[in-house]
Amino acid sequence: MVSSLTQPALEVIDLHKSFGSLEVLKGISLQAQEGDVISLIGSSGSGKSTFLRSVNMLEIPTSGTIRVGGEEIRLKPGRNGATAIADRRQIERIRASLGMVFQNFNLWPHMTVLENVMECPLHVLKKPRAECLDEAMEFLSKVGIADKRDQFPNQLSGGQQQRCAIARALAMHPKVMLFDEPTSALDPELVNEVLQVIRLLAEEGRTMLVVTHEMRFARDVSSVVAFLSDGQIEEQGPPEQLFGNPESQRCRDFLSHFRDEAKSKHG
Amino acid sequence: MELLIWGDQGWGDELFTASLMTIAISLSSYAVGLVFGCIGAALKLVENRWANILGEIYTTVFRGIPELLVVYLFFFGGSLAVMSVASVFGYNGYIEVDAFIVGMLAIGVVAGAYAAESLRGGYLAIPKGLIEAGLACGMTRSHLARRVIFPQTLQYALPGLSNLWLINLKSTALLSVTGLVELTRQANIAAGSTYKFLYFYIVAALIYAALSFFSTIVIKRIETWSNRGTVRIKV
Repeated sequence: MVSSLTQPALEVIDLHKSFGSLEVLKGISLQAQEGDVISLIGSSGSGKSTFLRSVNMLEIPTSGTIRVGGEEIRLKPGRNGATAIADRRQIERIRASLGMVFQNFNLWPHMTVLENVMECPLHVLKKPRAECLDEAMEFLSKVGIADKRDQFPNQLSGGQQQRCAIARALAMHPKVMLFDEPTSALDPELVNEVLQVIRLLAEEGRTMLVVTHEMRFARDVSSVVAFLSDGQIEEQGPPEQLFGNPESQRCRDFLSHFRDEAKSKHG
Repeated sequence: MELLIWGDQGWGDELFTASLMTIAISLSSYAVGLVFGCIGAALKLVENRWANILGEIYTTVFRGIPELLVVYLFFFGGSLAVMSVASVFGYNGYIEVDAFIVGMLAIGVVAGAYAAESLRGGYLAIPKGLIEAGLACGMTRSHLARRVIFPQTLQYALPGLSNLWLINLKSTALLSVTGLVELTRQANIAAGSTYKFLYFYIVAALIYAALSFFSTIVIKRIETWSNRGTVRIKV
């Protein structure tokens, strides 16, 4: 196996994050090998989104270590005991290698679909325009909205917007993709088209971290599922184990809630 | 109508030139206003208490004192300042500062105090996620400012800034007291020398109204461009 010889794509060690006196992350460690799809599940307030946002420093962790492709993100003590980014250039470079997809899409409304996808390859990676255009069209075709290239985000459905956001992330050729509840803001009938795309990316062997409430998706697609509770990883393992025979009581309670919900839908 | 004839007999060419002066002083003072507005908004937005206080003082003071008084203060204060600098170099005569420059600064600094508030509001209205999306892609801060924050701020600030342009256009009439021959001053001169007061003030009013009308057409175009991609709900 080649992947076992190389550095993990992403390595997080003992991550803590506090907002004022509220400790949201209480020491989370997680490793993603190349090609891993790790789903983060747990009730709201468990810290899964904060964790994901800490990986690319949208939230600056209070303490802990993050390595992306073996490179450690440098932090320094900031004002009032907080931590701060030590090297802005490094953060920008690492962020460019982490594709992020948000719950609310966050497409830039004043740019067309194509411009959204081309913006960062063109101006962050500084690739030639023709190459950016070709690639952008390739990714838009992949997510199935190539025909919407000249529309503005607000002219698209939520599902189409999210697929555009995925294309925008892909256009940076990220080492790791971060999905922050990518289907939570969508109407139920639009959830599948987005999950389909993410599934496709998983099959391509992309390394991904997915915060999700879609349990069936997590079970089908992930190589590892981590259950977060109260700012810690309560349990993690392959989906068969975590969904089939969870060890922790909290995890069992959490999953049974979803099972009841699934039953009542069918009943 | 013969009062508006071009040349020595009428006031047509003088009023025309004065209208151009009004346009020139409006544009340049507005430009100064936008620069000061950006600085003022930035001062109020950065996480630095002293900058915040400075920004607060600027917007409070220049929105708080009558604009005519600001014009007087700049005009006479400006002369005094230039003269005191000149006396250092051994010149002690009276120096009158250039009415255009002083007028541009006086009107511009006041406009800036209002623009700062519009721009600050515009910035605060940007959905936070748009900025995060830029950061997450590895944008530098200047790239983010140029490509995301500026166009978004402009879109939200534009109604306020458009309003300010129209107000600013009329504020330049105050500069007639400094001897700058803009539209109001010229109308005044013409009225005084012909005793057709009402006539020339109506002509001046019509020209101001025409300038405003033309402005709103341009503003509409800028708004359409700035709002590209935005779906407005029709009520």
